[in-house]
Amino acid sequence: MSALAASVRDAGFVLKRLPRGEWGTPLLLATLIVVDVSIQPALLDVTQIGLLIQTALVAVLLATAQTLAVLARGVDLSVGSVLVVTDVLTATKLGGLEGDRLALLPLVLAVGAAIGLLNGALIAYGGLEPFVATLATWAIFDGVALLVLPTDGGAPPQQLTNLAIGETAGIPNSYIGLALVLLAWFALRRSPLGVRVLAVGSDAERAFLNGIDVRRTKLIVYTLGGFVAGIAGVYLAASTSTGVPTAGDGLLLPSLAAVVIGGTSLAGGRGGVGLSVMGVFVLVFIGDLVAALQLPSWVATVASAAMLLIVVSLRSLPQVLARKETA
Amino acid sequence: MTRHLPRRLPATAVAFLVCGLLFAFATIRSPDFASASHMRQLLVFASFVGFAALGQTLVILSGGLDLSVPWVMALGGIQLSIWNGDGMSSALGVVLLVLIGGALGTVSGLGVTALRIPPIVMTIGMGGLVLGYLMRVGLGSSTAASAPAAAERLVNDTILGLPLIAYVWLAFALAAAWLLRRTAFGRALYATGANETVARLAGSRVAAVRVAAYAASGAASAFAGILLSGYVGQTYLNMGAPYLFSSIAAVAVGGASVLGGSGSYWGTVAGACTLTVLAALLPTFNLDAAWLNIVYGLVILLAVGINRVAARAANG
Repeated sequence: MSALAASVRDAGFVLKRLPRGEWGTPLLLATLIVVDVSIQPALLDVTQIGLLIQTALVAVLLATAQTLAVLARGVDLSVGSVLVVTDVLTATKLGGLEGDRLALLPLVLAVGAAIGLLNGALIAYGGLEPFVATLATWAIFDGVALLVLPTDGGAPPQQLTNLAIGETAGIPNSYIGLALVLLAWFALRRSPLGVRVLAVGSDAERAFLNGIDVRRTKLIVYTLGGFVAGIAGVYLAASTSTGVPTAGDGLLLPSLAAVVIGGTSLAGGRGGVGLSVMGVFVLVFIGDLVAALQLPSWVATVASAAMLLIVVSLRSLPQVLARKETA
Repeated sequence: MTRHLPRRLPATAVAFLVCGLLFAFATIRSPDFASASHMRQLLVFASFVGFAALGQTLVILSGGLDLSVPWVMALGGIQLSIWNGDGMSSALGVVLLVLIGGALGTVSGLGVTALRIPPIVMTIGMGGLVLGYLMRVGLGSSTAASAPAAAERLVNDTILGLPLIAYVWLAFALAAAWLLRRTAFGRALYATGANETVARLAGSRVAAVRVAAYAASGAASAFAGILLSGYVGQTYLNMGAPYLFSSIAAVAVGGASVLGGSGSYWGTVAGACTLTVLAALLPTFNLDAAWLNIVYGLVILLAVGINRVAARAANG
């Protein structure tokens, strides 16, 4: 009897831990990886994994930008439009017919950060809801990208392409890119800025009372997000060797899905980029599995959506049950 | 409750004023703009946004958001053309699809209320499931199925010089206004959007109201998709894609608070007309789709800015 009680208590404990997504997400990802590898053992290969990471890296970067906004209790609908702006700039201004001008790369990255700064200014100092401000900048910079490059084309510098899809000392560069994203996040998280971001996200008023400049923190968060989404655009252009002004259309909703599957709370202040990266790879492996099983592509779409809903339902289950008990 | 009234009325008035000024400006620039045939066309275009944003208005007023609009729209158009091909009567198809849209919305609403899934997540998930189904029935974004005759008649036939759809839209706008302003449902919807806890404690059936809003959004989106397929004359997977943005933008331009609790469907109607007039105005300046995006973004910022100033003035 006591064993039963203990196991029930354990189950309750497990459910209570789930909302934090601390082990639920890694477990889910590990399961998918094990299943996928057992179906296609050829996947266990440095080059194969490198290609997988390479195709996922754009989503990883966008999910990172999205995570930063969500952690600060916001949302960034403009990540896709920042991506297309730097994507077309890379294809037309850094490369193009008149030869490569790689020296301008910092400027392109600064454009991404500047769009993020505009988002941050509208939200932190203009007092706009993150949702509305980034809805507007989403439209505006989608348009700007189309002005720069009306149709698919352009030619990103070959050196950037080599960097994006090449390898260093036998290791595909995509590994290094992914590692850099994670390292940057863990460094940020332990920095005073990271602490401020989480504080502002969990309770802006209390953060303010503790002497944190809430507005400035939000400004920095969105600027950083724009910078990261800008890198995603440069990487996309470089790795595909072309500029696509509408490439961002289908990337916004997956970036939100990855953040949510990872376990970062939409209510702000809880979660992190590490979780979102796992969320991205959950979606990547679902797609990979469906392809490996030679199922039609709609299965991947349905499975991804179902996974999103199931994961979120499981996380909110303890909350729902607790409410039923008190009601 | 009275807090909403002084804010809601000027916002709607401002939205119509902006729309009217834009229209006047466009007519001065090119007198053809106000010709009967062009007006008819504008009305039809505006009605697509109007219906896509009808449910979105209710959902946003209740404090939520519906991101599944584009896919439910595509479902409406594509499924009707498939059924049409199978020889099913169009009228029956339209009714069934509006019901199916409503059922999908109900599921979203239950997810948001009973399972406490955030609206953004629930409706992205629902959109993904619908998209998966559409991919399964075998319509890639490149291939197209022809639109059903009933949908074509709705947007092409006219009565007393106005397209049939204009009357339908007017009827729905009047019904929505009555529902929001004169019924217990409307009061509960505003109360829920303004403060869910207070609304619940005050005795509003918060969950039922929210589910109803999502159900309305699903039904209206499916109907908007049917209309769109009738106008374009074909259906394709991405046909609803622009309406994710414009359904939300029409609500924001119409003066509603995106946090819920304040706004009106007439505001959204004005927003839909404003977006449509802008889309028709820009080509007269030789400005293409790229500029339309930019102008849409600026209009949202402008509308929200004006409403903030107006709200501050109204609150003293």
